[in-house]
Amino acid sequence: MAKQIPKRAIILKWVWRLGFSIFFYLMLAITLRYFPINPNVAFLQIKQSEITSVPSYFYIFYIHVCSSAFTLLAGFTQFSTFLLKRYPIIHKTIGMIYVYTVVLLSGPSGIYIGYYANGGITSKISFILLGILWLLFTILGIRLIKTGNRIGHEKFMLRSFALAFSAITLRLWKVVLVFFFHPPPMEVYRIIAWLGWIPNLLLIEWYIIKKYKK
Amino acid sequence: MKRIIYALIAVALISCKKDKTTVITPTVTQVQEQEIHTDWYGSWVGNFNAEKYNENSEDVSYVNKISIVIKKITSDIVTGQSVVAGNSRPLTGTISGTDNNAFVLKEPGDNKYDGTFTFRIDGDTLSGKWISNNKKVTVTERSFKLVKKQFTYYPQLMLPEERDYIDYSHTKTEEIVEEDGTVSNENLYRQASESVRTINASTQELTEDQLKNLKKLDLEIIRNTIFARHGYTFKKKSVRQFFDPVDWYVPVSEDVSADLTKLEKDNIVLLKRFEKYAEDNYDSFGR
Repeated sequence: MAKQIPKRAIILKWVWRLGFSIFFYLMLAITLRYFPINPNVAFLQIKQSEITSVPSYFYIFYIHVCSSAFTLLAGFTQFSTFLLKRYPIIHKTIGMIYVYTVVLLSGPSGIYIGYYANGGITSKISFILLGILWLLFTILGIRLIKTGNRIGHEKFMLRSFALAFSAITLRLWKVVLVFFFHPPPMEVYRIIAWLGWIPNLLLIEWYIIKKYKK
Repeated sequence: MKRIIYALIAVALISCKKDKTTVITPTVTQVQEQEIHTDWYGSWVGNFNAEKYNENSEDVSYVNKISIVIKKITSDIVTGQSVVAGNSRPLTGTISGTDNNAFVLKEPGDNKYDGTFTFRIDGDTLSGKWISNNKKVTVTERSFKLVKKQFTYYPQLMLPEERDYIDYSHTKTEEIVEEDGTVSNENLYRQASESVRTINASTQELTEDQLKNLKKLDLEIIRNTIFARHGYTFKKKSVRQFFDPVDWYVPVSEDVSADLTKLEKDNIVLLKRFEKYAEDNYDSFGR
């Protein structure tokens, strides 16, 4: 079995694992900045008008920050054929955690804070659309496996995770844009709001087409 | 009748007493004061140019804006204040020579950067030089030519339109590779946005939305403009570079915290919060 996998794919797999681990660690570090709980910390420092005028914003923001870290965990386990075949129970358990977290916590809270996003209507539309698609792909993915459609399940869960992964790509694009162009902060924000997830979706679509064309 | 006489005497006695006291006081003050040229009192403002300095030092402030405040001139003593580069020092000295328009004023001498001012007032200019007490400081001699300019707090004052606000005190060097392969270095400086000329933190309550799109340099300048309006003398060279050339800016105090309005204090808190956020987050992985 292992012999059939081309060398390039193995290298890519390890690059993905290493890269994902680094960024997962960075995301955890960002999450930990919000503890101890403080209404005037990190990103919330520039969200004080929402904090004071919209009482629920603070709680929903924290739900989003805390729950989203769990959705990224799926990146370590769900796309491993080894785990899926040898320990399907791990795949199933983490999969259920992912689905429940996205559908009940991260997704809805993401749409909610997207409505209050910085950068005006341009970024608001992006974040709300991102949240809706994330919910949609995740629900479709879980419904397909319930009917036994494994390929459909994989396709939609790949799309769902590509959107979850935008948490990382959005922040990565920010570093790149600021490094090269030094634009004003809100202009960066409006660009990364879209750049964070559209290329991810295109890339995963290309991957899906390539994988299933045979 | 008797009563009336007594009353008259009483009145006379009282008025006598009054007369005595009123006569004594003016003579005392007249002896002490004899103030000369009260028309020269007030602040004289202009450039404080380095003349003799340590050539090897990289930290020479070649030009700073200075205020020399003249408070009192008598034949015995002259007092005033020097306000420059974040340092406000009391001055005492005398009129020198036979002319009544030449002065020698000394800073107290308990600060490393204290020295002696020697200057003349001719018409509407005050010119002269300053020599440091300590010969080991970076700049040991400075010259100045000042004009009289009264400090007044106007909250609506803004940074002038005609200048660009570029931070020359912080450089980033970038390597540039030409098409033919030659490598050269280019110094990059941060430039403030239009906002520093349009956002007034002394007259309006700032909102988060107004500040979100601003970089750290903009936020710092908007905040420091509040202090400049109050005549604060800035300690940091990186701040002085923006305000020293401004016509209306008259440094008169090293502590203006008591003069700030409630509105200004609130805006300072907000601006500082955004500065901190910009510093921590603008170019790092995160939001």
